[in-house]
Formats: sequence, structure tokens, C-alpha cells
Amino acid sequence: MTGLRFPRELADEMVAHVLEGRPNEACGLIAAQDGDVVHVYRMTNVSASPVRYALDPKDQLGVYRDLDDRGWELGGVFHSHTRTEAYPSPTDVREAREDVPYVIVSLAAEPATIRAFRIVKESWSADDGEIEEIPVEVLG
Amino acid sequence: MATTGAVKVKIPTMFRKLTGNESEVDLAPGTIGQLIDQLDERFPGFKGQIMNEAGELHRFVNVYVNDEDARYLEQLETKTNEGDQVALLPSVAGG
Repeated sequence: MTGLRFPRELADEMVAHVLEGRPNEACGLIAAQDGDVVHVYRMTNVSASPVRYALDPKDQLGVYRDLDDRGWELGGVFHSHTRTEAYPSPTDVREAREDVPYVIVSLAAEPATIRAFRIVKESWSADDGEIEEIPVEVLG
Repeated sequence: MATTGAVKVKIPTMFRKLTGNESEVDLAPGTIGQLIDQLDERFPGFKGQIMNEAGELHRFVNVYVNDEDARYLEQLETKTNEGDQVALLPSVAGG
């Protein structure tokens, strides 16, 4: 798995979105082309919680259609950890159902930390999975 | 590849290795249950991944027919027609 490369302004936009979401977790989707991030979709956390996040499936569908229209791929899912490190929680592993990088932005310390992981499962419905870190680069 | 008379079905990222990385496949119109059967024929094991042993979709799978959630239509009995867009979407969530 190759890494994810963020142009500085898109990494900043993602961090700005999760800062605005505090004290709750915030989330969004990432569009990429060959590992280069080309767009950050700011999404609503319908769980509205400091320890949980979820996308509204209808919002998610709208983004997936937009990706198709623009010829982009789903580059990743991002969410924040407001008080803990940028590493998948047991809930993150259990709920991971997309075969894309899961980007976690930690706001536990300044500046924010961005890391990305792939959660590899034996079956789609498995609750447990292997965590593989994916390199994240912020360019510029 | 577009096929006349087909329903377009969006495939979750987890199964794209089965589809040769195609994000959408064209299937013959039918109920959602019949579309899943067609996918299982084309990609053996698919059904076992998206349904439980009782033949119900896993709770984390959302099915949309155009812009409607099939849960509020007729679920697996929901009919699709030529030109419809069906999406099988996993929930995106965590903590």
C-alpha cells in the first residue's frame, strides 16, 4: 500500500474541520488520485459525540457519486481523536468496513498529528482486524 | 462498460479486488435480492460476506436505490428497473 500525500492546504483544511468540531469528534472523506489527495469533504458527525463518529449514509452516497462524476477515487476516511493519540481505537477497528486508509487526526497535543492506517479483516463482518500503518506526507 | 437495459450497482471498496477494481457493475434488473444473487454468481462468496446466516443484510450494509434507502422501501424485495442506480454502502463509523 502506497502512502497518502496531502498538499499542505488540504491537510490544513482537514485539521481546521476537526478543530471546528470540538469537543466532539469530526469526520470526513478524502478524494485521491494515485495516492495524491485532491479534495477533502467535510462531513457531519451524526453521532455528535466526543468518543464516536458516523457518517449519514445519504451524505456518504452523495460524495461517492461526486467522486465518480469527477473521476476521483475514495482516498480515505478521516476522523479526529480529541484526547487520545492518532491510532485506531478498538471501535475504529470493529467498525472499519471500507478498504481504504483510515486517517486519524489527533488533537491531544499541538500541533495536530495526522496518521493513516489500513484495517485488514478476514471477512467483511469481522470485528477484529490487523492494523497496518500507511505513510502520510504533507507536501509544501 | 455500459450495457443497455442494465441496473448499475456500486460495489463496496472491500470487494473491488473481485471486480478487477471496477467500482460499478451492470446487472439485469430484478429485486435487490436477485441482484445480490447475480453478484454472488459472478463473484462467488459475495453473498456470504454481505449477509448473515439468516439471509439478512449485515446491519452495517446500507442499500440505496437511486436516492432511496431500501430499508424504507421493500428491503430485499425492492424492485429495480433499467437505468436504476443501486449502491451497496458500508456504514462509515468509529470512535
